[in-house]
Amino acid sequence: MDNQTQALNTTRRRFLQVSLSAAGGLSLGLTLPGCAAFRENTINDEGSWSANSWLEITPDNRIIFTLDRVEMGQGTYTGLSTLLAEELEVNPNDIDVVFAGAHKPYRNPDYGLQLTGGSNSLSSSWQQIREAGASARALLLLAAADALKVPKDYLKTENAFIVHAGSGKRLSYGSLAKLASKQNIPSDLNLKAPSEYRYIGKQNKRLDSQQKVNGTAVYGIDVEIEGMRYAVVSRAPWIGATLKSYNGAEVEALAGVEKVLEIETGVAIVAESYWKARKAQEKLKLQWQRDADAPLNSDDITALYRQQALDDEGNSKRSEGDVDAAFEAANKVLEFEFEAPFLAHATMEPMNCTAHVHDGKADIWTGTQAPDIAQVAVAKVTDVSLSDVTIHNQFLGGGFGRRLTQDFVAEAAEISYKAGGVIKLVWSREEDTQHDVYRPSALHKMRAAIDEQGLPIAWDHHIIAPEIMDWYVWDASPAMFPWAPKFMYPMFGHVGLLTAGLTPATPADTSAIEGADDLPYSIPSIEVRHTKADAGIPISYWRSVGHSHNAFVVESFIDELAHEAGQDALEFRRTYLKNSPRLLNVLELAAKKGQWGRTLASDVYQGIAVHKSFNSYAAQLVEIKITGNEVQVLKVVCAIDCGLVVNPDIVTMQMESGIIFGITAALYGEITFKDGQVQQSNFHDYPILRMNQSPEIETVIVESKEPPTGVGEPGVPPVAPAIANAMFKATGKRYRRLPLKLV
Amino acid sequence: MQIKINGIEKQIDVDADTPLLWVIRDEIGLKGTKFGCGRGLCGACTVHLNGMAIRSCITPISAVEGQSIDTIESLAQEDGRLHPLQDSWLAHNVPQCGYCQSGQLMSASALLASNSNPNDDDIDMAMSGNICRCGTYPRIKAAIKDAAQTIHKKQQNNKNSQAMTDLAYEIKV
Repeated sequence: MDNQTQALNTTRRRFLQVSLSAAGGLSLGLTLPGCAAFRENTINDEGSWSANSWLEITPDNRIIFTLDRVEMGQGTYTGLSTLLAEELEVNPNDIDVVFAGAHKPYRNPDYGLQLTGGSNSLSSSWQQIREAGASARALLLLAAADALKVPKDYLKTENAFIVHAGSGKRLSYGSLAKLASKQNIPSDLNLKAPSEYRYIGKQNKRLDSQQKVNGTAVYGIDVEIEGMRYAVVSRAPWIGATLKSYNGAEVEALAGVEKVLEIETGVAIVAESYWKARKAQEKLKLQWQRDADAPLNSDDITALYRQQALDDEGNSKRSEGDVDAAFEAANKVLEFEFEAPFLAHATMEPMNCTAHVHDGKADIWTGTQAPDIAQVAVAKVTDVSLSDVTIHNQFLGGGFGRRLTQDFVAEAAEISYKAGGVIKLVWSREEDTQHDVYRPSALHKMRAAIDEQGLPIAWDHHIIAPEIMDWYVWDASPAMFPWAPKFMYPMFGHVGLLTAGLTPATPADTSAIEGADDLPYSIPSIEVRHTKADAGIPISYWRSVGHSHNAFVVESFIDELAHEAGQDALEFRRTYLKNSPRLLNVLELAAKKGQWGRTLASDVYQGIAVHKSFNSYAAQLVEIKITGNEVQVLKVVCAIDCGLVVNPDIVTMQMESGIIFGITAALYGEITFKDGQVQQSNFHDYPILRMNQSPEIETVIVESKEPPTGVGEPGVPPVAPAIANAMFKATGKRYRRLPLKLV
Repeated sequence: MQIKINGIEKQIDVDADTPLLWVIRDEIGLKGTKFGCGRGLCGACTVHLNGMAIRSCITPISAVEGQSIDTIESLAQEDGRLHPLQDSWLAHNVPQCGYCQSGQLMSASALLASNSNPNDDDIDMAMSGNICRCGTYPRIKAAIKDAAQTIHKKQQNNKNSQAMTDLAYEIKV
């Protein structure tokens, strides 16, 4: 659809809202028809900004873009600005980017919520933001034609100016803002053809780098508000434990401590400085009532999953051919268990939030992936209505899905509500590790039926894992209905779960099965089943979600099948991927670029894997070295097909990022439970890959005119199976449990 | 208590065991230095103590009383000219989320100050205390090498021009 210039039908699908801000700027937004909320509030008291729009042009020709997909490293700040810049005809470097608050027009069209996640920021904004730029440019051209009394065809736009070649006159966009706001959007509005792109596909530099190399980028933790005090929270050390008693008065008497108070998640200490709060926390003695039904040990959780697998053969997610007959007729059956552990997100910036709940209103300063769900979190713990919660979003020091859950926002708001004043809550690394919402653990039971030639005739994949929506729906669903009174919030959760998959607002939860149910290999009979098993450990979305374990299982087991067939791993995949040309293409590219099968040093081994996630196709060839019991990844060659590329170097960066994130999980990542407690606490026992362990990475991007697809997550899934497959080559042993350990 | 931060003497009134990190961030108000782990395990809080890279999250203020501390805010020159490492960081598109980058740059600048021509092992040694969850390591390594070359060239040029001056002086004499 992007090959040709497209006509914009503004009446059919969307309408444009044009208004003049108090500063005389042209403010423009684009939204779904009938969104009443959008028509309100386009002018603020200071006249400097109209919140419900993406673009403001001030009289002094500042181009201000409101970024509604948060910047957490993945590059939206640059990518989405580039889309606007392209159609508006301004240099991306000249755009001022501000972060969006929580407002309906900023909802992610794919979710109906203002979420940044699922690697769809670029794809879901692709049309929207370019239209916003193109429409504004069209209005400015009409305004200039009026002002100069010349036909608009004689005018051209040139980096935020309109130029009349005949007279040499130049008018800035800013000087035309007032006039432009009175124009009507022309019906013949066109978006540029790819051949006309000046920035899309060519812009490489990130627009947020300068402030990130001089220390001036402001993250949630850097927010400083007058009168601010610091808070820390002691939470239950055991899953599900409830507070019995604590020595509040004693701690409150300590120097610098202002208040010790109970909140929903534990006991908060408010002090004049962060350090005073932390020191006071050491004196806090808490008694907890443990939950007798709460899970105790990691082994119990695995045992629970195994039992569930026996009790319930699972819901079929895909059924093709005759699996039972194939197993009946099989010459040989391969049957193995695969396991993936709980994982922490471990963002470099620990959870934090600054809150000011006052006079029935709340101001929240934080870095969140879900500003409208943050509003729900605040409304739930205070007397403030959802619409009176203002979110001041900041740069995120990493997200990876962690900042989709708003527990830290709720805590800060509750403390401010109860203690009064502005409160900055900062979690310690230990608290961040032990009170995360984890990537769920999963058990996979794999079976393959093999014929006389050694070839697979049936594939049976049984996934035993929780569903993330069961946890997330309670906070997320009220954000879809901001008009609703608070007593209805729990109901939305129930409705959301009951109707999952039945209505557009309540999509089916694919978090456990994604990357497994769409097995691309053309095996005659395929069965993919899911048994829901939930041990009560808080879980959430973690970079690449279900793909993070399903790709490991599928690509490891395919490798086993190749070996069983006596075929080379690449050759075998080629044969069985004949119906998946884009996957096959990246596989071939990675194999070629990485020289699959080349002669290697005696202690170096290759492995390969390919996986589709977030509508993108990624293949990775790894070379590992084994020294004693240590696996070191020396090199990764990655081929990625993510459709049309807006910023090639950001795509490359995201592949590098996903690969290193994936290696951390593949070799080290594991959250375990003992006696009801998380055993890991900081980077010494939850290690992250370091520079001396980091591989050389080479990325090849497929040139494509298909619509843009995800890049933030697709780099993660293939690396773990590629490493496991290389380890098999080294040792002749299969490694079916994450993290991968030689012994 | 008195410390010198980025060349400026500061008087501060905090508990003696307060980590330098929180003094820099919350008392002095320089937010470029980051909190990551509180145990000296991640390097996000790296600053220079008399030119050496240290982890400010585990350094009590009492241990650095009267000494000279430099933070990310002092890495560029006063006229705004960036440190060669910062230029190199921009050229290599290093930062992603960016949260660890102040610490990375402070570790790297301490390395280059003591070794203007580091090899891969030197870089690994100096930088492995700094975690980057976004995985910018390959770019950091390349950026350090480039910056080292720039600095090296500059030093050579300075040496050459110094030699020319010396020669001219000798001729004159």
